[in-house]
Amino acid sequence: MSNEHEHWREHGEIYALGALDGQELKEFEAHLASGCAICEAYVRETRETLAVLHRSLRPDAPPLAIKSRILDQIAPQAIVRPRQEKTPWLNWNWWGLGIAAVATAAVALVLIANLTRTQSELEKAKAQLAALKIESAQKDELLQLLSSQDVRLIELKGLEAAPAARAKLFWNPGARSGVLLINGLPKTPTDKAYELWGIAGTEPVPAGVFRVDDQGQARFRMPVLGRGKNFDKFAVTLEPAAGVEKPSGPMVLLGSL
Amino acid sequence: MPADPTIAIRLIRQVANQDRDAFSQLYDRFSTLVFTLAMRMLRARSDAEDLLQDVFVQVWRQAQNYSTERGTPEAWIVNIARSRAIDKIRSIRRMEKSFVLTDDPARAESSDNVESSAAESEARMAMNSALANLPETHRKVLELAYFGGLTQTEIATRLAEPLGTVKTRMRSAIQRLREMLGAQVV
Repeated sequence: MSNEHEHWREHGEIYALGALDGQELKEFEAHLASGCAICEAYVRETRETLAVLHRSLRPDAPPLAIKSRILDQIAPQAIVRPRQEKTPWLNWNWWGLGIAAVATAAVALVLIANLTRTQSELEKAKAQLAALKIESAQKDELLQLLSSQDVRLIELKGLEAAPAARAKLFWNPGARSGVLLINGLPKTPTDKAYELWGIAGTEPVPAGVFRVDDQGQARFRMPVLGRGKNFDKFAVTLEPAAGVEKPSGPMVLLGSL
Repeated sequence: MPADPTIAIRLIRQVANQDRDAFSQLYDRFSTLVFTLAMRMLRARSDAEDLLQDVFVQVWRQAQNYSTERGTPEAWIVNIARSRAIDKIRSIRRMEKSFVLTDDPARAESSDNVESSAAESEARMAMNSALANLPETHRKVLELAYFGGLTQTEIATRLAEPLGTVKTRMRSAIQRLREMLGAQVV
């Protein structure tokens, strides 16, 4: 043993005897665990020396039955273990692994499906929230528009092309905008749309296109119109779906301030 | 002197390949040694039989872990036996049953007793000359540790000696044995 290991000598001898304890045991085990071949060999050599202790005992033969018990105990493993020792992977329970893999995959698929559904629901909720915010803003804006003292109510009546139709226009001349509530108009043809007009004298100004639902109803927020025109009438005509600059179709509703 | 370990090394390697015949031969070779040691340490035949069984089942299961770097097969097997016996002794001690003979009849089966001067004399007669030539105080600390499973601190308490004295006796005893047996120091 080299001088640098001299301080481990005492520990090594007492460790080989099995009597080292406490902090000294921890330190020496850590030293051995660090891979010190010198101390490992010293412990091994000391154990060989100490063998004189058990060799000095008078032999006491064990009962013969114990050998049979041991052989019985190791019997089942003797069938299984050779393969396990050489190629452990050959001895695996492939059926079990297969079932486990399928179960794992199924769980993963369920989790992925749940995650996807959750993400989809989250996106949907986000979209709904955004729509609600827009709707809320629109209602706030509409409420502000309609709560103005300048708002004028104009009733539009159905003409010959739609005699049952009725509409109310809340017109805010200051804001140059308004809201049109419609009942009883014929369902909008696929290639057509209804168009609202502001009429100043005899000059019609386009005020937006809209469609009605199956019940012939619609609530239409008209765009902000340009200044310079004082409208005294409002009318609705049936026009091409994209709308037109000048009325070309039949007038279905008409109302005056 | 110990037998040539070459045959035992070959048997362990065969046992590592699950060779039951080799295991049977290995058992025949070392079972008496293990049982004798177990009887000396546990001093109850039933415990010694259980320990013998446990040791050889462990040998069967861990034969592939053996290498000559761990020492001779005898040292490897004895180390397994001592470790298990010490665990058993300490377990009993935790249950507040002294490892020395008590009134427990199961523990009175053996005539060996490290505390008994008569038994010590008997044991001394059985020991080889090297061991017999050790001072009694030195041999006693070795026996308490080797067969009794006591640590250095426990021995110091038991003998009412300073820990340093116990360490010195242990080291001195080992050095004397090493010199007398002509062991090669690393």
